[in-house]
Amino acid sequence: MIKTNNISHYYHKDCALKDINLEINKGQFITIIGESGSGKSTLLSILSTLLTPSNGDVTFDGVAYRDIKNIDNFRKEKIGFIFQFHYLIDYLTIKENLEIANEDATTKEIIKLLEILDIEELLNKFPNEISGGQKQRVAIARALINKPEVVFADEPTGNLDSKNSLKVFEILKELSNNGTTIIVATHDTQLAKMADKIYEVKDGQI
Amino acid sequence: MHSSIQALKANRLKTTLIYFSLTFSIVSIFLISSISYGIISMYSSMLKTDGDIIITQAKISDTFFSNVDIKLTDKINEIKDVKESSGLILGASPVEKLPIVAIYGVTKNRFKNYTLIKGTYPNKNEALVGESIYNTLENKKNIQISNKIFKISGIFKSDIGFENGGIVLNLKEAGLIFNKSASIIMVNANVNADINTLVKKLKKLNDNIDVKSTDNFVTNYNQFKIIKTSSNVISFIAFCMGLIGIISIMSITVNQRKSEFGIKRAIGISTKKIIIGIMSEGIILGIFSFISAFFISYLVLYFIKNSSHLQGYVNGEISSSLAFYILITSLSMVIVGSILPALDAAQTDPIVLIQGNKI
Repeated sequence: MIKTNNISHYYHKDCALKDINLEINKGQFITIIGESGSGKSTLLSILSTLLTPSNGDVTFDGVAYRDIKNIDNFRKEKIGFIFQFHYLIDYLTIKENLEIANEDATTKEIIKLLEILDIEELLNKFPNEISGGQKQRVAIARALINKPEVVFADEPTGNLDSKNSLKVFEILKELSNNGTTIIVATHDTQLAKMADKIYEVKDGQI
Repeated sequence: MHSSIQALKANRLKTTLIYFSLTFSIVSIFLISSISYGIISMYSSMLKTDGDIIITQAKISDTFFSNVDIKLTDKINEIKDVKESSGLILGASPVEKLPIVAIYGVTKNRFKNYTLIKGTYPNKNEALVGESIYNTLENKKNIQISNKIFKISGIFKSDIGFENGGIVLNLKEAGLIFNKSASIIMVNANVNADINTLVKKLKKLNDNIDVKSTDNFVTNYNQFKIIKTSSNVISFIAFCMGLIGIISIMSITVNQRKSEFGIKRAIGISTKKIIIGIMSEGIILGIFSFISAFFISYLVLYFIKNSSHLQGYVNGEISSSLAFYILITSLSMVIVGSILPALDAAQTDPIVLIQGNKI
């Protein structure tokens, strides 16, 4: 599904990633671990189209990212993002936050998704009215509202306590079991073990 | 639209600042445009109601400095198609505490232009005063103009502020004060007369006169051009002030909302939609500011019009075409002003979301 071909990345002259080759199949649950500054976030950014590598190619179902004409549509249709911080828009309700990600989503679909994440009661609340763990689950819902083929998560449990962190990983695992490809960058090695495959990035190399 | 309103509500302080900045600049444009339009409109309607043709001294820049021999009216009245001609002296003088009051010296056949509400038209040593200036006078019986005292013979009312705040004298007496026999001569033509032909005939009467149709005079009057140019320059400055206000405050707002635009870019919302969203916020504010500015200006103009200190000389008019022109100007201001912040927002690189603390 996603394949990298000798990707390297440099920030000015500093090498962040060097000659990365990996292949991720549909429905896999992948974790990328590594110490702070190891390059795991850079790798996740490249895999998720947010960053163009200095060298090498990334392909999605055989199509190179650089050949994708409308990257906005590609992201909208194929990719879901979860970040360390939830980045919910604070002046919109939870329902509206999901609607901006998918204007065609019906209220019924939104409620169903929130039910799966066990937060259906938050539908008409504003982000500042809910807890940190709930916000991150709403962020997961926003990532899933378009039914993406792959979900990228960058330190999704970075701001959560252990109970909520485990809950988030359980949700991601469940999604993976249902056929969604999950790629998570995390520094939590215990949670990382829930994945099908772990990549460790060290000094820019796997 | 809904989310644009929500975004404006969420950023109340900056929304208020933009709203005030916009409203004040639109009020400035409204006031300067309507007041200058009102002055031009008052003076030109005063001239237009008085005649079809205006005769002034040749090569003189302003009617106040013009000096035309009133005896010309005898020759003018003999020309075919001339219905009537009249002389008018335009002057200004301090009256009581008022530093400047318009003085009109007129031939008797022009008295009919002033609608009496009290008393009679002036005879020798008498003056007819406009209603608004009459109300400000301490001495309601006599009035001193230059070194001569005139008895107030009557009061007239005029919709034209310059007249309503002015004093009418007999032409001869005004001529003694301002040392001329007439500033301008106005000619009324018969209904079917060809004005251009008549203008040519009148020009032949004297080399020292300039003859123009009233419409042509109003169009080319230097004072109107100066007023219009000044008004446009001040309006442009107000426009620029409003524009800078929007750009700067919106840029700050956009910068504080980087994470919002970053997440929108990450979830595939197009740059076009983000630009439209920001511009919609600007347009909503622009429309609200325009409506507020319209009513504020209307109120200010009402007080200006009724201020005794201004004697009715400053009389702004908000015509529908002026309001429409300012609406377009206001919308242009917000559209141009929000383009840069909108482009900045749309170019937010979603990678900033992964770089976390930088936003």
